[in-house]
Amino acid sequence: MNDHRDDKLDDLLRSRRVEPASPDLAQRIIFKARRLPQTRTVSLWQWMRQLCAEFHLPKPAYLLASALILGMVIGFSLPSDPDSKAEDSTASVTGFLSTDEALL
Amino acid sequence: MAAAGPDQDDHELLALIQDGNGQAFALLVERHTERFYRLAYRYLQNREAAEDVVQDAFLKLWENPALWQPERNSKFTTWFYRVVVNLCLDLRKKKKPAALDDDMPLIDERAPVDEIMIRAQEQRTLEKEIDALPERQRQALNLCFDEGLSNQEAAEIMGLNLKALQSLIMRAKTTLKERMKAYL
Repeated sequence: MNDHRDDKLDDLLRSRRVEPASPDLAQRIIFKARRLPQTRTVSLWQWMRQLCAEFHLPKPAYLLASALILGMVIGFSLPSDPDSKAEDSTASVTGFLSTDEALL
Repeated sequence: MAAAGPDQDDHELLALIQDGNGQAFALLVERHTERFYRLAYRYLQNREAAEDVVQDAFLKLWENPALWQPERNSKFTTWFYRVVVNLCLDLRKKKKPAALDDDMPLIDERAPVDEIMIRAQEQRTLEKEIDALPERQRQALNLCFDEGLSNQEAAEIMGLNLKALQSLIMRAKTTLKERMKAYL
């Protein structure tokens, strides 16, 4: 009984009446479109994608560029070598002494 | 500009439309107008309103073809169903759909008069009861009983999973069975 009602309802739903559209509906739409200019608005998302595409680099290049930048940052941020400072001060003391000797 | 032909699928036509190809647009309109009109009619129960909705949807696509983004949508028809449904819902919010005209020829006039009257009444009651369903249930019903649309496609259009859609349909049918008792 219940199945019969289900089937009947399904039949009713499938046979719902649709008033036919005007036969020229598609032509009307096409005709109206001919008079409309196309605009090409680009959404923010699309704009971002295009921007990223401009700067697109292959992955090895990304890796190389990152390694170089990292190396430069580390290189500049480290204090200079303490041994070379000691060498500099030894050289200047020797120079001073030799100047003194020349005077004597 | 590349020529558009009836052998090309929707996605190829849309790519041409994005290059401003009017012939491709005409082919797409001719291919799908009827199907989207039927859907709009089921929502609005009014021929003029349904035609206007379909026209608006296609003209929006023509004016701004970038609205269609193939990488974000699997199928043109699924995406366009959503466009049409949203326009129908907007219109329904703005104004109540016109009631069915009692004098409107509803069915095959060659059938016996008694049968015509019963079926007409049946159809009118069904439309009234469908119209009284909650929005999501009505939407599920309209999509699933539309020709050629699978439950999976309907679920995708509504942004639901299959089980949620089936549940909506079941609840809608239970309500309709109860309210249409006299005709079932």
